[in-house]
Amino acid sequence: MATATAETRAASHSHSFFWRRLHSITGVLPLGAFLIEHFASNAAVLSRHPRQNYGEQVKFLNGLPFVLALEILCIYVPLAFHGLYGLWITKQSEPNALRFSWWGNWAYTWQRISGIIVLAFILWHTWTARFSGVSLPDHPFQSFAKMQAMMANNWIFAWFIIGITTVCYHFAYGLFLFVAKWGIAIGNTARRYWTYACWIIFLVLAYAGLASALVFRNHWIYPIR
Amino acid sequence: MAEKTVQIRIKRQASPQEGPRWEEFEIPYRPGMNVIVALRDIAERPVTVEGKSTSIVSYDANCLEEICGACAMIINGRPRQACTALIDKLEQPITLEPLSKFPIVRDLQVNRQRLFEDLKKVKAWIPIDGTYDLGPGPRESPEVQQEAYPLSNCISCGNCLEVCPQYNDHTTFVGAAVISQVRLFNLHPTGRMNEGERLEALAAPGGIQDCSYAQNCVKICPKGIPLTESIAAMGRAVIKHTVKKALGK
Repeated sequence: MATATAETRAASHSHSFFWRRLHSITGVLPLGAFLIEHFASNAAVLSRHPRQNYGEQVKFLNGLPFVLALEILCIYVPLAFHGLYGLWITKQSEPNALRFSWWGNWAYTWQRISGIIVLAFILWHTWTARFSGVSLPDHPFQSFAKMQAMMANNWIFAWFIIGITTVCYHFAYGLFLFVAKWGIAIGNTARRYWTYACWIIFLVLAYAGLASALVFRNHWIYPIR
Repeated sequence: MAEKTVQIRIKRQASPQEGPRWEEFEIPYRPGMNVIVALRDIAERPVTVEGKSTSIVSYDANCLEEICGACAMIINGRPRQACTALIDKLEQPITLEPLSKFPIVRDLQVNRQRLFEDLKKVKAWIPIDGTYDLGPGPRESPEVQQEAYPLSNCISCGNCLEVCPQYNDHTTFVGAAVISQVRLFNLHPTGRMNEGERLEALAAPGGIQDCSYAQNCVKICPKGIPLTESIAAMGRAVIKHTVKKALGK
């Protein structure tokens, strides 16, 4: 009887090697690459003329050739797959970090918790920034004021801080996992150094993200025209 | 002067259908005793701390020198071999529970068939028998011996599966021990001749992809096997093999 159940279970995900590896790689490319691009673009506000420079960035990105196809194929489709498949993976896991609290086990548990938080944040962020309110592709120079108006609310600003920090963690630890699971770093020493590198990546990204977010709060208020 | 004693709490279950219950025992201390010795002492006089006569506690044990893997159980919340769990080094009362990832048989005894079936799936052996003498196999270099020896220490105890958050009823994951055995047999010069079959078994449902790299296995392994290294090495081997095969080479 036990074998019959095992076979039924096995049949239900017979291509899981392919899908799991696809899940792993979509987190790095294109999603991780887009995350870095997004944070780099946002860092345009870390300048003397944040509103102008931020607007230029939005204008430049929306002026890319085939921008809609790029947006759909490199962001929405991989994001939907990575997010939904990730939820399914999470459903299969039985986290036990409270019983066995080694760092790797906590990192594993946080990867799942952060994944859920990040998915919720990204859905909300995409809706509020891209699909509602002032249309940024049509009015790129309103971007700064739009985000500023949103972040003036303390709760929303806190939500941004949580979203930025967790997405940086999820990406940095995902990079560690990618290198371990694909066998890019096999030896224990190599993986230890790569762990340090991933922590640095986390810190750099989180610093860039949080510093950019702070500009919207600390800068004088631009009205939305 | 009161005699020194050992307090032991055991999670007991008469059959898979019945619910578990806890029983507490107090037995005379003997120098150097381990959990297996304590279980034998209880078997000599199966009376609980309340003075109630009870059945003998059922458990698996064999070699008593951490070689056979049979006596794995959860001791003070941590899966380990009962034969190397010295009473002197354990906090009392000592709690004993059966491994939770395998179906229970009775008391501390579990059915580890899933592990053995998974070892069969990946062909964790080296086929050497033919209908005639095949002659000596290729020589194994000292470098390969160095790499393979720690892997050959696996005793299939199942402790790595007990701590693995991915080894459960929702997945058919084979677990760290089995992945590491694939590495061992693929390292062997004769075993390498069946490398492809083993790697394909690891890409099948329940294979290496179900590992999410929580790295608990390597922390708990009583034999100090570099399991996370094995998983990374096999991760590379499986993806290489799969891509090569998909491209028709």
